[in-house]
Formats: sequence, structure tokens, C-alpha cells
Amino acid sequence: MLGYIVRRLLQAVLITLGVTLVVFLLLHIIPGGSVARAILGPRANALQIAQFNRDNGLDQALPVQYITYLGQITGFGSLFAGHGWQINLGYSYKLNQSVASILVQDIPRTMLLVGVSTALAIVVAVPLGIYQAVRRNRIDDYVLTAASFIFYSMPIFWLGIILIVIFAGGLLHVLPSEGPQGTTFGDVLSELPALILPVASLSLVTIASFSRYMRSSTIENMVQDYVRTARAKGASNSRVLFVHVLRNAMIPLLTLIGLSIGFIFSGALITEALFNYPGMGYRFWNAAQSQDYPVILGIIIVAALATVIGNLLADVMYAVADPRVRYSK
Amino acid sequence: MSGASRRAKALVVGLALTVVSLAGCGASAVTVNKSTATFAEQPGAAPNYIFPLASLKYFSVANLTQFQFLMYRPLYWFGENGQVKLNPQLSIANPPTFSSDGKAVTVTLKQWVWSDGQPITSRDVEFWQNLVTANKLNWAAYSPGEYPDNVISTTINSPTSITFNLSRAYGTYFFTYNELSQITPLPQHLWDKEAVTGSVGDFDKTPAGAVAVFKFLDQQSGMISTYDTNPLWRVVSGPWKLKHMDTSGNVKMVPNNAYSGPVKPKLTEFDEIPFAKDTSEYNQLKASTSVASTAVDYGYLPFQDVPQKNALSSIYTFVPWSGWLITYFPENFTNPRSGPIFKQLYFRQAMQDLVDQTTFIKRAYFGFAYPTHGPVPLKPATNFADQVEQANPYPYSPKAAVSLLQQNGWTVNPNGISTCASPGTGAGQCGAGVGAGAQASFKLEYASGLPALDAEMAQLKSDFALAGIELNLSTAPFNTVVGNSVPCVAGQACTWDMECWGGGWIYSPDYYPTGDEIFSTGAGSNSGGFSDPMNDQLTLASEVSNDVSALHAYEDYLATALPVVWLPTIYSQLSEVNTHLQGTQPQDPLLQIYPENWSWS
Amino acid sequence: MRIPPPAAALPLHGETTAEVQDIAPAYESRGVWRLALDVFVQNRLAVVGVGIVVFMVLFCFVGPIFYRTDQLTTDLNNQFLAPGAGHLLGTDNLGFDVIGRLMIGGQTSLEVGLAAALIATTFGVLWGAVAGFWGGVVDALMMRLVDVVLSIPALFLLLFLAVAFEPVDLPKLILVVAITAWLIPARLIRGEALTLRTREYVEAVSMMGGRGSRIVLRHIIPNTVGTIMVNATFQVADAILLVAGLSFLGLGIPPPATNWGAMLSDGVTYVYDGWWWLIYPAGAAIVLTVVAFNFIGDALRDALEVRLHRR
Repeated sequence: MLGYIVRRLLQAVLITLGVTLVVFLLLHIIPGGSVARAILGPRANALQIAQFNRDNGLDQALPVQYITYLGQITGFGSLFAGHGWQINLGYSYKLNQSVASILVQDIPRTMLLVGVSTALAIVVAVPLGIYQAVRRNRIDDYVLTAASFIFYSMPIFWLGIILIVIFAGGLLHVLPSEGPQGTTFGDVLSELPALILPVASLSLVTIASFSRYMRSSTIENMVQDYVRTARAKGASNSRVLFVHVLRNAMIPLLTLIGLSIGFIFSGALITEALFNYPGMGYRFWNAAQSQDYPVILGIIIVAALATVIGNLLADVMYAVADPRVRYSK
Repeated sequence: MSGASRRAKALVVGLALTVVSLAGCGASAVTVNKSTATFAEQPGAAPNYIFPLASLKYFSVANLTQFQFLMYRPLYWFGENGQVKLNPQLSIANPPTFSSDGKAVTVTLKQWVWSDGQPITSRDVEFWQNLVTANKLNWAAYSPGEYPDNVISTTINSPTSITFNLSRAYGTYFFTYNELSQITPLPQHLWDKEAVTGSVGDFDKTPAGAVAVFKFLDQQSGMISTYDTNPLWRVVSGPWKLKHMDTSGNVKMVPNNAYSGPVKPKLTEFDEIPFAKDTSEYNQLKASTSVASTAVDYGYLPFQDVPQKNALSSIYTFVPWSGWLITYFPENFTNPRSGPIFKQLYFRQAMQDLVDQTTFIKRAYFGFAYPTHGPVPLKPATNFADQVEQANPYPYSPKAAVSLLQQNGWTVNPNGISTCASPGTGAGQCGAGVGAGAQASFKLEYASGLPALDAEMAQLKSDFALAGIELNLSTAPFNTVVGNSVPCVAGQACTWDMECWGGGWIYSPDYYPTGDEIFSTGAGSNSGGFSDPMNDQLTLASEVSNDVSALHAYEDYLATALPVVWLPTIYSQLSEVNTHLQGTQPQDPLLQIYPENWSWS
Repeated sequence: MRIPPPAAALPLHGETTAEVQDIAPAYESRGVWRLALDVFVQNRLAVVGVGIVVFMVLFCFVGPIFYRTDQLTTDLNNQFLAPGAGHLLGTDNLGFDVIGRLMIGGQTSLEVGLAAALIATTFGVLWGAVAGFWGGVVDALMMRLVDVVLSIPALFLLLFLAVAFEPVDLPKLILVVAITAWLIPARLIRGEALTLRTREYVEAVSMMGGRGSRIVLRHIIPNTVGTIMVNATFQVADAILLVAGLSFLGLGIPPPATNWGAMLSDGVTYVYDGWWWLIYPAGAAIVLTVVAFNFIGDALRDALEVRLHRR
């Protein structure tokens, strides 16, 4: 087990390094020549660009730049230089701040949204899927399946707008139309009703997908031999369902959750822009509008890191649940 | 209780609840006991710079007019009761006095103080001047030959009096409205430093020192998250001082109790709120249930929701806000291919003949725009706009456009691409630089995210096609479009034909609309590289004359010379103001806000 | 935002788990088609799905021949007309007839969806097959690259590409969508290739001197057709939703070109004005088409699994 975890950890580190390389390359494929022009604007003349390049080490060979970049974002660069461990994710020229200081406020908010949505999705989807499996091919299964398909196929911003029109702006005035605007965690918690619609938009689609998966996974397990054996040994239906089938059916769901994290972040981007919720996605969208590349790339790294960690955790939990996996390569 | 009466009772209760909840969605005749007010920022336009000497990157209404001006008052304030006029009461100095030869102007300061009690003196004005002179290339309002280049020396007569000696005789309108207007006194006794730990000195008196001081202040102003605690920004001259600000654009201000001006704030706090999209802001307006609980007190109605404006009338008052600005888009005179075509006056006339301003106003903007016929804004009414401009020299007429092209040697292919059939510089020929077979096909890039602009540009494309002028539309974020609208430089690729950022030019702080910053040869904001010697001459004449008729001559010429393509001028915003928030009207045409006048009833 | 359908839920290391063993059958291609057809005929939802797709294709590509409207000239004076005579679903903000708009918007949406899915699937399949067949370091490197790009949330990467390479036109949009879509087929096919290469007949061909590329192209890929088809149908659905999301965020194709996603996100700005014909038809078109592809994909997947359960 330990060996398995160590192998996965190494892989995760490798993948994260790969992400930094890809991000670094992205910064250098921006057309229009150089990073300098993107940041200084088209009015910049050759002298200003040369100065900018010198100031930011952009006139050195690419591999050297990459090593410097890596040192900056991991913090080891400053460590080696004797300045202590400082992570430097870049500097936003539009906002005049280091990217890290901008993200420090935004990341917890996005994590809250993504975390609550995912947790809600799991809590709702698992029982829903089992229920559908038990009642399969009956009318309520069909209705729920149809609903799942529809939610699954809806663009997320449309779902969000419909929710806003129904619950906030148009018909009923029961919920705020914006996400919580508070700066500290305490402020956000005090505005809990404002979190309902954003979470609902994000999780409804996730629930639709997870529950479909739970349903088919449960059905598959229910016809397995071990279930027949358990029943033959006298276990009741509910014991069979909740003790044996659930555990086995949930295992692949863990991996699905891990894989879904990337998609949930994408959904969070749209949800935050729609609900004016000042998280990482909203910040990314603003940065995209103003071509603030340092912020854009800094957020990509953070989001990718979160996805890698999520996948790693999912893998580890999978190994805990399914011993066969621990011995694979 | 019997079943029937129980049911009846339930019905009555149900009805009552419905009535109550419906009423909750409407207005109430209450007294609003709030002492704070919130103002909605335009989407994507949040303030991000506090130091009044701003470079191009930060030079915006969001930063200066609706943020810095509340704290750091300019020397002279323009805007009085909804008019574009010098406002002596809100100015830090008395109206300037010019010498008889027009080559010297003396400014006498009133006895106003900074918020820490120190008086605002001529030394503070000189501090600004020294900083601007040494760092003019970093200053957005700088135009070569104009302030501070045209001040050859300054004399400090006393702590309250300073005289500027000018390089030539300037007219009073121009110099007061466009040059002195750019001066903001800065607290020299606190800001004249080169480093955080250094002491205050007279560093600004040497050019090298002035550069160092500017660098220091610029760098400090760059760190938004330190605004709350940085002692530099604690001392202000205006009615408000900053309590809190963050990088998302949330701003909170509290009254400056030492403000020397005539009106002190009645509110205890004034907030500005950021929004990503105007839909989000509108959702906030819609979600308000009563006047006492509006999250946004002074907001705006997005254009696409104008048909809905009556839905908010129980809580908000609808007040369109016209600004002292003109809307247009430039064409690129420096483009090697399309430039020569644009340089032909008949071609520009044909293009203007194809702009159907009436339909744009009525449809794209739901009636909330007004025509632009020349460089001087038509609203609010001033004596700067004359009759010639008010009568449209180029009404919408596709026929006129087609015949203009045909008379000048073009073969017109409606819904295709017109081409030049007779090149040459003679009468009836296309003109210098326009080769045989030259095509009337241009790229037009415009700002994304504005549904009204989408409609306008799409209709423009269809209308231009009537004369065979093909427009290839594309969109880009606002900042990109603005950034791309620069004259081409030799040696670099020159790719744009037309750029439309959906706005134009607001005459602030160049309040006297001589257009010297946008239409003069080589001016800093002359996006398309328009160059006309006659225009330059008339512009200069309007700057040195004391008479408005010189301005009229300039504007009449440009109205026919068409340096850019005029578009309808849109209202800067369709304000929705809480019905109980008093003191907000009339709205200032220079887009300034006066929260110190606001109070709740 | 899309979550991969269950078939794609392979663990990161997915080579020798029970999952892959089960889903990677080795059979003659002919049998697959026959079985797929059988299941299709039995599965009513799949038939409905195919029916919807056929209807949409006809509506979008054949429709304009019968229902002619001017989709080029803007006519602001006729904007926002309610459904009625002459305009069965009213007009939009530029005065275009909405049904005509749905037709040409649908052409773009379907084209982008199909083209992006085709490119992504082709590229992904080749990538995965080569990686799975060669194994070793080549496999490790190729799959790590897939993992790396997969770790970056799709919409973030797409937004960056759209901003860096703006202005966006149709080919760029297809390419940009395909760039994030090829990863899942690569993973799936690689898993299959891994198991397939240990099958006896593949080893036999290899011993008989068959070249690597021949084995990959003639033996491995044809036997993964089932998985490819299943995944491709989901790709089309995903692409349509992704383009809608991009349009909402302001980075779609400029007018007068349009697609269902752009129609929906433009229409949504007028939600409070009550002009439902700007919103629901486009939204319904998207949902129906995406649902249809999901039905088809689900049915195909059931067909494969039934096949494997019968073995």
C-alpha cells in the first residue's frame, strides 16, 4: 500500500511539473511577438520592449527561463537565493499586485463553492442512484432518468439564469441573485442564502451525471454472484443493498469524482461569472477580458494543482477500497 | 370549527399572505433610515489607481472622475448644476486672472486645508507641476507642446498665489478649461519622498529627484491591498477619504471632516460596488423588494432591458445620464492599403452617408442616444456647439453614397465589393494612392459584450453593403480594441482598418472641446493618424482666441472634413436611483459624482 | 461543464484493472455492427435519439431550401417581433427570422460538434493506440502528457486559447474545442490497446513479421471501434455545450455567423423583457440534440456491455 501511494505521489509530482512546463510554453506562444507587447500594449516602442525584457529576464535562453520560472513558482528559487521560501506566481500589471496575493482571497471562495457543490452532489446522487436501481424500469425511474438527461444536457449558464429568474429576480423574491460578496469567511457564512443558487446550478448537473453512474453501477453489482450468495446466506434486502452493493458500487464513483474535479472547476467559472461571486473563476474571466496573462496562467496552475491533488486522493481512496488495485503498476 | 369555515379561513389567510407578499415586492411609503449609499460601477471598470498623476493604463473615468476626484480635488472644478462650466465654489482656487498680453496667468488659492490641517499652498501646486514636467511621458494627459511644455516658468508669489509664464499668448477658455484643469495639488509635505523610510524633502525641485518621487508614488499606488493602511493616502483635500478598498473593485469611503469646501457629506459612508456583467447588476436591481433594502442605491439599467424600465419604477427613478462626449470610431489613415482610400474626402462622406443614426438610436439604443454630427457634443446645450453642427451635414442616404462613389471613379457593386475603375488624381478619378481595382473591403473590429453595439455594427455592415463597401466584423475585449487603435509605426505590421470600442472621447479634463488631443496631427490620442493642416490651424486659433467663434470655425470645418466616422452618442448610463436618495440630480455631464450632496429621506 | 460519462471513468493507472479487462473485448468487427443494430432496434430511446439527430440535420441543412429567409441583411426596424404571420418564431435583436437563425445556427453547431469530435477522436485514437501498443517509455511519456493536459480544466484552457488567438473564427473554434477533447479517447483506446496487444492473435501477427503500424491500424483500432463510437457520440454532445459556454463568456464567432449557443446566450440578456422566442427555441434545440446524442451513446455502450456479459 505504501509503495502504491509513493508511486502515485511521484506521478502526481511529475504531472504537476508537466503542467508548469505547458503553462510556461503557453506564455511564449502568445502571438504578436512577445510577452512584453501583450503587457505593455501596442503603443510600446522597441526600446520599452527591450527594457521590459531585460527587467523580466525574458532575453535569456528558454531553458534558463523555464528553470527560473520553476524556481519562482515553487519558491525554491528564492530559497536558494537566501530570501526564504517565497512563492512567486507572477505579477499582474493590470491589478498591480502579485498574482499570489490576488489569489489568496479568491481561492477559498472557489473552494467553498466547489466543495459544497461536490459534497451535495455526492450526498444526493448516491441514494438517488440506488433508488433508481432498485426501482429500475418503473415509472419513477423513467421520470428521474429523463430529468437527469435534461439537466445533464443543459448549458450551465441557462440553468443558472432560469434559477435566478424563478427564485430571485422575476417570480419569487426569496433568494439573492448574487453569490455571497463577503470578504472574510465569517462574512460569507453570514450570507449563506446567497450561496444556494450558485451551488444549485453547479450541482444539479453533477447530480444528474453521478446518479446515472450510481444507477448503472448498482445494477451491475446487483446481478453479481456475491449478492446471490449473500441472499442465500439469509441477508435481508436492505442489508445486501446498503452493506455489500453500496460499498462496491461506490468504488468506481470515487474515480469519477476525481476525474470530475476539472469539469466542476470549469462549471464554477461560468457560475461565478453569472452570480458575480468573486472567486478564482470570476477572477480568471476578468483577467481574460483584459489579457492579464500572469493572472490567467497563475490560475491555470492553481486549478491544475487542485485537479491533480483531487485525482491523487481519489486514487488513494480507490486503493483503500479495492485491494486489487494496490498491486497494479 | 366546521370544515367549511375552516376552509374559508384558510382561504382568507392565504389571500392575505399573497397580498402582503405582493406588496412586499413593491414600494412602501417609509422613511429610509440608512446613512450609507452604494453606487454601482460599470462592468469591468473598477478603480485600481489612487495616485492622481496617472499613466495611460490608469487614465479612466473609473479611476479619476469617480474615484480620485472624491479625495484629491483638482485645482479647478468643472461642472455646475449639470452644466459644463467652471465651478468657482468647488474649486480650490479663485478663477484665474490672465495678464493683458495673455502670456501669464495668476492663480490665487483659497485658504483650504488638507485633512491633516496643513494648508493647501502654492508649494503643493508647484510639486504637481515639477512631477508632471519630469515625468510627462508617463502622464496620460500629456500632449507635446501643451501643458506643461507651454509653461516656461512659474513664480511663487506667496503661499496662496502662483503665476505661470506661458510660451505664447493663449485664450482664456482654452487655458483655463484645458490646461489649468489638469492641475491637481498634491500634499507635498507628505508625498515628497523617494522611499518609504525616507524623510520628506524638496526632491521634486530637481528633475532626477522628481523622477524618483514619481517612481516611488507610482509604485505605492500600485499596491491596492495596502491602500487601507498606507499613511500616504490618509491625507486628502476632498470631501471623502478612503476607508477600504480591494482588488475586486469594492471601495468604501468615509467623510473627511476637515474638508474646506462648501458642502460636507451627510452620509456616514459611501460605497462603490463592482460587477462582472451588467446582467448581474440588473439582477440586483430586480431583486430589491423595497426602498429601504436596496443593495444598489445608485445603479443603472442595461440598454437591453430598457423595455422593462417601468418594472423598477416603484423603487427606482429612471434618469438617463448624458455625458460631455462624442461617440465615433476611427479609420486607419496610416494603413498602406486602406489609408489612401480613407484619405479621400468623398469616400469618407460616402461612409458617413451610410450611417443611419436615426435607426441606431431608435432600435439599438431604444431611443436613448442622440446624433453626433461633429466634434462638439450636442448635449448638454452649451454655446460651444453652433448651428452648423446641429443641422446634420450628412443625413443617411445610400443613394448619395452610391453616387459619390460613382462620380469618383468607382464601380459600385451593392452587396458585393466596389472597386476603383478609374485610378488617378484628376476629376472623376479615385484619388492619389488608390490603385486600379482597389477594393472597398475593410476589417472592423469592435468591443465585445455590448448587445447594443452588436446590433449597431451588424446593421452598419448591412447598410455599408448597399454601396458595395464590405465590412468584415470581428470582436475583441474592450481593452484590446482600445489598445489596437494606434497609428501604425514604420517597421511593424499594420493590420487594422477600423476599430470601434463603442465609445469615443469624453472631454475631460480637456473641457473646452478643441479636439487638440484627438484630431490634431500627431496628437496623443489621434488613433487613426488623421492629419489636416487646415484643421491644425483652426485648432490652434481656437486655443489662442478669447472668443468662442474661433471654436465654431474649427468645429464647422471638422463637421464636414470627417476625421472619424460619427456614431450616435449614447447616454453614458441609464441611471436607476433609489426614489428616496436625495441630492443626486442633476447628473454631472463630466460624469462626476457628488455623494457629499446625497441624503436619505 | 461536462463530466465524463461512466465509461471514461478509468483510474489514472488503468491498465490491468478488472474494469479494463471487462470492457476490452476482442472480436470480429462484423459482429459488433450486427449486435449494435439489434440493441438499437430494441432500445427505444436510441431510436428516438437517432430520429432527433436526423430531424436536426434535415432541419438545419435542408430546411433553408424550403423555408427561405434573409439571414444576411440586418433589419433593425423589425427587431424583437413576436411570433406571428411571416415569422413563425418571431425575429431576434437584428431582425432576423428566428427559425431561419436556428437553421443556420444549427449548421454551425452541428458542424463544430461533428468536426471537433472527428478530429479529436481521430487524433486521440491514434495517440492512445500507439501509446498502448508500444508500451514502455513511449507509453509512459505519451500518457503523462495526456494526464498533464487533462489536469487543466477545459474551459480555462479554452478561454486562454481564445483570448491569445483572437479573433476567433470557425476553424479556430473547431481546433480549440478539439484540443481539449482528444484526451479522453486517447486514454480509453490506450487502455484497450494494452489488453489487446497481449491477445494471442496480435502476438501471432507480430511473430509473423507484421509491422507495428500495420498491427495498430489493421488489428488494434478496428477492435476498439465500439468504444470509439460510444465516445465519439458523447464528444459531439460535449462540443455543442462547450461552444455554448464559450459564447456566453463572450468568446464565440462574431455576427452574422451564429450558433445555437450564441443564440441562447444572446437571448438570455433579454430574459426580463419577456421575449421567450429568443431563448427557449435555441435552448430546446441544444438540449434535444445533446440528449439525442446521449441516448445514442448510452445505447451503443449498452450494446457493448451486453456483448461482454454474454461472453
